[in-house]
Amino acid sequence: MATGLYPQTKVLSKNFDVPNAHTLAVARPRGAYQSLEKALRTMTPAQVTEEVKKSRLRGRGGAGFPTGMKWSFVAKNTGKPTYLVMNADESEPGAFKDRYLMERDPHLVVEGALVSAYAIEASAVFIYVRGEYPNSIRRLEGAIAEARAAGLVGKDILGTKFSCEVWVHPGAGAYICGEETGLLESLEGKRGHPRIKPPFPAVEGVFRCPTIINNVETLSHVPWIVAHGGEAFAKQGIPPDPANPRSNGSTGTKLMGVSGQVRNPGLWEFEPGITLRELVYGYGGGPLPGRKIKAVIPGGISMPVLLDSELDVKMGFDELVKVGSGLGTGTAIVMDDTCDMVEACVNIAHFFGHESCGQCTPCREGCHWMEKVFRRVADGDGQPGDLDLLESLFKGIEGRTICFLADAAVWPVRSIVRKFRGEFLAKMTPAPTPAGA
Amino acid sequence: MPKITIDGRVLEFAPGQTIIQVAQANGIEIPHYCYHPGLSVAGNCRICMVEVEKTPKPQIACYVQATDGMVVHTKSAQATEARAGVMEMLLVNHPLDCPICDQAGECKLQDYAFDFGHPTTRTPVEKTHLPKNVPFGAKIVYDGERCIKCTRCVRFTDEITQTHELSMGARGDKEMVIMTSKGEFTTPYAMNIIDLCPVGALTSKDFRFESRVWFMDFTESVCTGCARGCNVTVGARGGRVLRMTPRENQDVNRWWMCDAGRLGYGHANAPTRLTTPRVRTSARAGEFAEVGWEDAIDAAVEALRDAARGGVLADAGATLEELFLLKAVAGRGDLKYASRVGQDEDGFLIVNEKGANQRGAEALGFARAAAPAPAALLFVERGDAVPKALRDGADPVVAFVTDGADVPPTARVVFPLPTWAERDGLLANVDGIVQPIRRCRAAGPRDLRAPLEVLEEIRLGLDAAATPWTHADVVAAVRGAVAPAGLAVPEVEFAPAAPRTVAAPASRTR
Ligand SMILES: Cc1cc2nc3c(=O)[nH]c(=O)nc-3n(C[C@H](O)[C@H](O)[C@H](O)COP(=O)(O)O)c2cc1C
Ligand code: SF4
Ligand code: SF4
Ligand code: SF4
Ligand code: FES
Repeated sequence: MATGLYPQTKVLSKNFDVPNAHTLAVARPRGAYQSLEKALRTMTPAQVTEEVKKSRLRGRGGAGFPTGMKWSFVAKNTGKPTYLVMNADESEPGAFKDRYLMERDPHLVVEGALVSAYAIEASAVFIYVRGEYPNSIRRLEGAIAEARAAGLVGKDILGTKFSCEVWVHPGAGAYICGEETGLLESLEGKRGHPRIKPPFPAVEGVFRCPTIINNVETLSHVPWIVAHGGEAFAKQGIPPDPANPRSNGSTGTKLMGVSGQVRNPGLWEFEPGITLRELVYGYGGGPLPGRKIKAVIPGGISMPVLLDSELDVKMGFDELVKVGSGLGTGTAIVMDDTCDMVEACVNIAHFFGHESCGQCTPCREGCHWMEKVFRRVADGDGQPGDLDLLESLFKGIEGRTICFLADAAVWPVRSIVRKFRGEFLAKMTPAPTPAGA
Repeated sequence: MPKITIDGRVLEFAPGQTIIQVAQANGIEIPHYCYHPGLSVAGNCRICMVEVEKTPKPQIACYVQATDGMVVHTKSAQATEARAGVMEMLLVNHPLDCPICDQAGECKLQDYAFDFGHPTTRTPVEKTHLPKNVPFGAKIVYDGERCIKCTRCVRFTDEITQTHELSMGARGDKEMVIMTSKGEFTTPYAMNIIDLCPVGALTSKDFRFESRVWFMDFTESVCTGCARGCNVTVGARGGRVLRMTPRENQDVNRWWMCDAGRLGYGHANAPTRLTTPRVRTSARAGEFAEVGWEDAIDAAVEALRDAARGGVLADAGATLEELFLLKAVAGRGDLKYASRVGQDEDGFLIVNEKGANQRGAEALGFARAAAPAPAALLFVERGDAVPKALRDGADPVVAFVTDGADVPPTARVVFPLPTWAERDGLLANVDGIVQPIRRCRAAGPRDLRAPLEVLEEIRLGLDAAATPWTHADVVAAVRGAVAPAGLAVPEVEFAPAAPRTVAAPASRTR
């Protein structure tokens, strides 16, 4: 790597390049389960939650919700068990960070799950893994078996009073089962139809019991927070905006990836603060020879695009929102000047239409309608009012459904339609008749 | 009580009520497809979106609970625009085959498109095609293209019957309802999904293509298939009953009815029905001549006067008033009723006792006929309620019979009996709830006279000193007679003479 690049900070990724780090024999001498031991022996569940609150850890599944605050919503004294669900569905196009964690450091993932389960006093963890990730499933199951044999999973963990089961549940190939309540339905053996909220899962989740759902990466941070304290975590990355009392900043470290039309696609870990330009050009190696970067989606397919001129923004939750996009999963998708933005819209709309669970009228019908309009524009059959029609479809779809899939379907294509209007109009204007013809 | 403001009206509500519930309770209509008061809230169709002040996005009225001080607008620009948007989305892939769709005329998609859809189409795109004409069991047909995926039908089999025969299948605009069981329903209530379906996606094989609803005459009545007395709307045209659908009554059948009851109108349309009175012409059994009504009544008076015996054997589907008059005319002898008793009671609606007015008969002093015994008057609407041995064994002087096949050969005078769909009267159900059946103007053969009228004329013929009774007089007398048995007869208005409304309700589903 060239010098002068924004520095990497390898916390989650510290074992990624260590051979056989997925085995307990390698992982444990490198520190695995020390935080579990510390938490179980020296801390109360409330103390663990307190450290996570102090850390300002925000959810890595896309929405950036403060994890400690989410945990504090768990309904107490319900007479029912509490469950922890780890969201490993990772079906967002462009996202591949959770897979690295599960395949290369599954013991970190299992430890994160156990410490978090202890904090919320859960009796079991369900890890819902994307069905197309057989290696992740195998590695997790292997790690859990090893951990169970070592007394780290199951009854009376490490000889303490804390008992917790960890189950791996493979998904069946639906993006919507990554949406937390779609996931819960699927876990219960039903169709992945997201639920209307409230009630929120923390009150009524899987099997109608209080449930906390967090992303793999989110929970994988918890062992470090227990080991070093929440304040140490909060000192990394981008601090909260002092002017905004509700701001949480972007603390700790974050796995960030680049895919698409770049020289060097990959995954790295940074304290937030790196700009999207440094990520794409520095680590991602910039455009392929002779090409120019046209647009970048910073965090998985469901975020609005940024133009090459807009890449000097820091990869932080609030920073990206300020420029009209979002951190999402922190995995950028790069499109260069060979990319037809209308075709990109066809593709994106097709994806969301195909993955819509079908419940809500605006999502079920609207996504496909958008796709059909994009398709005809791409085919040169666009009609004069089509851009206005699209704008009114965006309005009719966004914010009018049970879950956020519909919103996620609108955000990227709307930004493309607005930022690349010329490309659309070019396809819609009949080519001038050659003189003399 | 906390208060909510909807469209400028300040309304009290009970905590826990949703916006749509408060609105409905106060006569404010909020459009809805997936919401049904008898099912869980799915919140998927989004047509019920309203504007709630201090909330940026439109909210679904079927799910969001009213809170004190909430201000709701159902007709503001935001609400109207949101609704029109959903309406348009629903039509993107809709086949618009209204001209051949049974639901046309009572379809919520049509109603709402008319009320607030876009006047012009913006959807000149190829529609997504889905399977049509899919059999859902032997009695129901599904059309995936007409389906708006509201999941009402699925929720019915999940929540009400808990038989789980239906599920949503596939995703996105390919989503459709599928049968999870092996092609047949195990529940005897499956056809309720046809009524629940807000569009024409679920149709009844029995009713398919029989009639446009706007040509039909609809009458609020009660099913007489068993003693539950489910409240129904009877749809008829040209002398035939074409359809029965349930009507909400929370004390009796909630919103539902059973399939057997729904389809149990066949005897009303039977080609073998009697249409003219008959008088036996010779001593030989079974030889009758058709006569006019007045002649038959005179013959009946004469025959009853001559007859040495009294006694009644009545179908327990006879109304309280009819039983009362049968008793007044021939009460000197034994009072008996007959009814079918099944073995299919299920703790939901269906009960074993099939006599629709069995409780009423008991209250008026009738006893179940145990064995064939002579009776002066016989009253048979359904042959299977009063089996042949009882009918013929009654050797009646005067018989009121619906179907020619059920006429006892030794009867002296026979009056064609209108079915329940053609009579006015009161029935006491299994729980002692007294409810009216009403005459459908368009059902049954022409020119049948109500047995109540005929019996009254016979009564007056037999006793010149008797004061004439109106229907209301009989009801008043019945009220007193059944009160000791704990039956409360409600105030009911019958309008047998005046033609009743022909128009179908705007939409038959809720
Ligand atoms: C359509 C859709 C798909 C989603 N897919 C995922 C996913 O694959 N993985 C994930 O962690 N979160 C996904 N989410 C976000 C989850 O709903 C949820 O917010 C997240 O798991 C919470 O975890 P966190 O607080 O740790 O971020 C998805 C959300 C939506 C609306
Ligand atoms: S928004 Fe789309 S994916 Fe989400 S619940 Fe509604 S139909 Fe399903
Ligand atoms: S068939 Fe009718 S009731 Fe069932 S989901 Fe479709 S529209 Fe709704
Ligand atoms: S339960 Fe009885 S009254 Fe109700 S529909 Fe069925 S047969 Fe008719
Ligand atoms: S009626 Fe409220 S969403 Fe369907």
